[in-house]
Amino acid sequence: MTTADPILMSVFARTFKSITDEMSISVQKTTRSPILCEAKDFVTGLYDAEGNMLEQTENLPILAFSLAPVCRYIREFFDGDIHEGDVIFHNDVFSMGNQNNDVAVYRPVFHKGELVAWTAVKGHQADIGGAVPGGYNPNATEVWQEAIRIPPVKVVEKGKLRRDVWDLIFANIRLDIVQHDMRAQMGACTIGARRITELLDKYGLETFQVHKEALFEATRRMMEAEIATIPNGTYSGEGMVYFDGHHQGTEFTIRVDITVEDRRIKFDYSRTDAQTDGFVNGTFTSSASATILTLLQMVNPDMPHNEGMVQPVEIVIPEGTILNASYPKATTFGNHLCPPNADAIIRALAPVIPDRVTAGWNNLLCSLTTGVDPEKGDKYVDIGFMGLKGGSGAMRGTDGYDHIGMIDASGGVLDQDYEMFEQQTPHRLVRHEYIPDSAGAGQWRGGLGVVTEFVIGSENTQFVTFGDGDFEPAFGLFGGHDSILNIIKLTYPDGTEVVPRNKDLIMGVPRGTFYHQLAGGGGGYGDPKSRDRKLLAQEVRDGIITAQAARELYGYEA
Amino acid sequence: MSYRIGIDVGGTFTDFFVTHPGREPVVAKVLSTPSDPSIAVIQGLTEIAAGLEPSLTLDDFLGQVETIVHGTTVTTNATLTRNGAKSGLITTQGVRDALEMRRGIREEQYNNRYTNVKPLVPRYLRAGVAGRLDRNGAEVEPLSLDDVRAAIELFKREGVKAVSICFMNAFANPDHERAAAELVRAEMPGAYLTVSTDLLPSIRFYERVSTTALNSYVGPILDHYLNQLMGRLNEAGFGGVLLIMQSNGGVMSPDVARQKAALTLLSGPAGGPGAGLEYARAHDQTKCIVVDMGGTSFEAALVVDSPIMVNDGEIDRHRIALPMLGIHTIGAGGGSIGWIDEGGLLRMGPQSAGADPGPACYGKGGELPATTDANVVLGYLNPGYFAGGKMTLDVDLARKAIETHVAKPLGLSIEEAAAGMYRIACTNMAQGVREVSVKRGFDAREFPLVVAGGAGPIHSCLICDELEVPLQIVPRESSILCAVGMLMGDLKHDFVRTFVSPLAGVDWTALGAMVDAMVAEGDALLAEEGVAEADRSHAVKFDCRYLKQYHEVSFVVPREALEARDVDAISAAFHREHNRLYGYSLEDEDVPVEIINVRTQAVGRTQRPEFRREPFAGTDPAAAKKGERAVYIPERREFATVPVYDGHALRHGNLVTGPAMIEEVTTAVFVGANHDCVTDATGSFVMFRKDRADLAAHILKEGTR
Repeated sequence: MTTADPILMSVFARTFKSITDEMSISVQKTTRSPILCEAKDFVTGLYDAEGNMLEQTENLPILAFSLAPVCRYIREFFDGDIHEGDVIFHNDVFSMGNQNNDVAVYRPVFHKGELVAWTAVKGHQADIGGAVPGGYNPNATEVWQEAIRIPPVKVVEKGKLRRDVWDLIFANIRLDIVQHDMRAQMGACTIGARRITELLDKYGLETFQVHKEALFEATRRMMEAEIATIPNGTYSGEGMVYFDGHHQGTEFTIRVDITVEDRRIKFDYSRTDAQTDGFVNGTFTSSASATILTLLQMVNPDMPHNEGMVQPVEIVIPEGTILNASYPKATTFGNHLCPPNADAIIRALAPVIPDRVTAGWNNLLCSLTTGVDPEKGDKYVDIGFMGLKGGSGAMRGTDGYDHIGMIDASGGVLDQDYEMFEQQTPHRLVRHEYIPDSAGAGQWRGGLGVVTEFVIGSENTQFVTFGDGDFEPAFGLFGGHDSILNIIKLTYPDGTEVVPRNKDLIMGVPRGTFYHQLAGGGGGYGDPKSRDRKLLAQEVRDGIITAQAARELYGYEA
Repeated sequence: MSYRIGIDVGGTFTDFFVTHPGREPVVAKVLSTPSDPSIAVIQGLTEIAAGLEPSLTLDDFLGQVETIVHGTTVTTNATLTRNGAKSGLITTQGVRDALEMRRGIREEQYNNRYTNVKPLVPRYLRAGVAGRLDRNGAEVEPLSLDDVRAAIELFKREGVKAVSICFMNAFANPDHERAAAELVRAEMPGAYLTVSTDLLPSIRFYERVSTTALNSYVGPILDHYLNQLMGRLNEAGFGGVLLIMQSNGGVMSPDVARQKAALTLLSGPAGGPGAGLEYARAHDQTKCIVVDMGGTSFEAALVVDSPIMVNDGEIDRHRIALPMLGIHTIGAGGGSIGWIDEGGLLRMGPQSAGADPGPACYGKGGELPATTDANVVLGYLNPGYFAGGKMTLDVDLARKAIETHVAKPLGLSIEEAAAGMYRIACTNMAQGVREVSVKRGFDAREFPLVVAGGAGPIHSCLICDELEVPLQIVPRESSILCAVGMLMGDLKHDFVRTFVSPLAGVDWTALGAMVDAMVAEGDALLAEEGVAEADRSHAVKFDCRYLKQYHEVSFVVPREALEARDVDAISAAFHREHNRLYGYSLEDEDVPVEIINVRTQAVGRTQRPEFRREPFAGTDPAAAKKGERAVYIPERREFATVPVYDGHALRHGNLVTGPAMIEEVTTAVFVGANHDCVTDATGSFVMFRKDRADLAAHILKEGTR
């Protein structure tokens, strides 16, 4: 048996990362749906033969840990019936998928006839069948009202496309663009497979195996060392979910009990509220991903993202809770349970690691407009990315990040470019700016929120909202203040004002309607009276803190 | 009037390359003078004049200089150190924060201590004014001149030196911007002004406002520097033509540079790729990958007929959307520091020891082990012949640094640790080469690697082994390649206009008129710069995409296809490029193609220096052999005694069998165990894999002619 060479281990680590990066660039540049190529709602990954994560490039942290569980499931499902040239699709949330819209491509990689690795790309598709275009159906109570289910299926078998299977899938999806985007994902998997084959040709399988294990081991030690700095004990926290989409006034609580024991950490969600009747439900994979990404923001950001990193982490989420719905519940909203899940974790750990947590982040409130561009006669779909991005929470020594957006993306989702927005929709942007005083006050302030206003340019516009943050603002910590609430408000041309619920579907919005949205800031950290006066002077001059707020909250006379 | 000089001002050294018909080119290096870089320029020119046979006074020498091409990093440094001009921005009401928001990106998603970059214009100097154009350029609301006046008053009060103007949808109609500009010119005649549609009349608001603000930020700095430089040169008797290097690999007159200062922002390494191509051409190759390893960074660029261009550059996290060479820079150089991460993995860089204190072996107080330290331990650098003997390297200090920070923590010997550092540095650089080749759809194996930078050729054999690249060319002037490249640069001016339309059914009359106008503009600029008509040419590119894609693919539109209005031929060119870049096209699916931008490039050919051509001197290198020493052979994982050759004494046809070392004053070459090296007629060292001797056969064959 070869022993690991520390130098070669570094070479492998660097090469794995460059492979998943290369796959990622390929997907970003070739897909057509804006949620893939602009919002980058996809992840690329590399797995060993057993489905252990070697490396990944996640553009959205919420997808970060959603591929490995499926990879293992697929391996078991096909039970050896995996061949060179196979390509497998999957989205099913009841076989370890995370969200119906997130469809994954898996490609096994063979070396001298032996299965040695997998390449995979999971991306959020523009449509996935179901009752409502785009997949967000606030009225859904069962999975079939949301999406077509794709349990593991070979669309390419030994290099030959199965036209029948392909057509069966895409006959159930509204937009042709999805076929092209899935082809782009397959292309990226091929690129990754090519590179891993080159690596194996050069170093041989045994060297690869030995160094892969050594790499897992090194990363596991890194994570264990981080956990060891948290005092042993059990810490509890809560996060709130408001409105299930069906019953006005409903509230649900996510409860986490975090137990640290030397070099291991356990997240136990057993006391979390039961699942809802609607689509406000998580899947195990999406909820566990949320847990891991929140944890990762509390440790060394340079840690490699491979199997070793998750080995010291245990996550318990009983089936039937809002974070792990049972078959056949609707679950499309599940990824957006990340913010309250993160809130619960932060609240639990803030007293023990006060220097490593942030205050609360602005929660997502998103809108989606669909209609026909009267000038072009074309249908458009627009996800309002720029409107939904509020501020992050402050931490000791660092202000929150302005206009970053929800923690599940952590700055990975970008605004539409304003001029491209006006080309691709009939809307006209009126305002997209920081909101003064939207940052939770503190010695370190929260990130700023933004106001977004535009005039809707299509008749009979269909309008969907999904999200939260309009009942409870991002919270402050250690004397820092809360931020402001999210809100979306429509003013029709006749003066009628409509405030949609946070999960809503409104038909027939007329042309000329004025759209107004506030995305709140992040929570502040520490006593605002202790904030650096020089910074305050600049912020008052720049108009992001008003003179009045400076006086009343910060005790600073401009 | 027959000298031509390329001058490359870098952070540490200012490099000179001087040509004169019928004479050996002169290579010189002096220490840079960052507070006023023109001092080093004059100093270097004085030294060169004195060193000529017979020696000349600076005045006499400059009197005979026909052209100086000058590359400067003053704008780059001003941006990186945040020492640009105090700037104001006049923009559309409601979107004044776009510049600071940068579309809401946080580059490090798991790092909650990662903060946004400070905006180039502070918020209180970003004035939103009323007035609005729709997406087609039609006026929705007239421009409020009162608002513009109020902004001007604010700027005057605050002592603003540079003003930017950028309005929503101005790419479709520049009228509002022009009206505002007129007012600024009248009220603030001394201020530097950038109007977005003059600089970059293309769609995408954030990219335009960022590029415009960058131009204003560095404009006054460049203006001031050019005044200093031209003053000193003229004073010293220079009466020739001064040209300025741009980020697109071309050159421009100082007047154009003053207007479009942002064109110099990433011009530092822009001379390299064009120069590399000339050395590859000496071997009938029309493509190559050019790499340049300096003290802190490693640059890689790809050339196919001409250097590959990109339109999505960035400096210090600010977008700059002007066309520039696709040069990929990573933090890997001679000064890159080796360290062990928390998981016990050896990493190299991006932290660098810089020039001061520098690697441990410099003996200037540096205690951390750098790539150069590893190279000393492994025998690749001769401690007594560094910079031709001007500086002595301390082997013991190098060993100590490596032992403390790498060998002990990893449980390795000092030699093993040094070999590991060398190995990781090469892996990092190989990844840098992949960025510009594999990731852009090119197979690196098909390209010769042109290697520049003093330490580049020590590492290039291992880089090539990793990438399976069989052929390398190390130019004799490799340590000052960018300065050479400055004399290879043509006058180049890029133009872009947004023209959104489906390709099928495009309004050819309107499109043709736009292209003609852009070509005419470029032609007039070249005429102004004194380029003869026969030396001017114009290329047309479209940025197209499949309907509803978000990212465009830029491709050359054949002139015949454009004139014949041949949609099929243009579409085919687009499908081909898309397929090459991304492994597929949607040609068979009949997905409509749309145009977003039209680009033209006006090129004024400049006179190129001629390479020397040495006569064939036989294959035996024995006359150049100056000794032997032990160096580390990576393939064998052990030291071996290899011959050392004096590079200056190697002649055309001399064949050096690897492993071996070749030393020059400014460069060391390690010929790996898998490679051999032959000197070509221009004096370049051509290294080839032992199993690919066919690649160098033409050099050896010259001897039989």
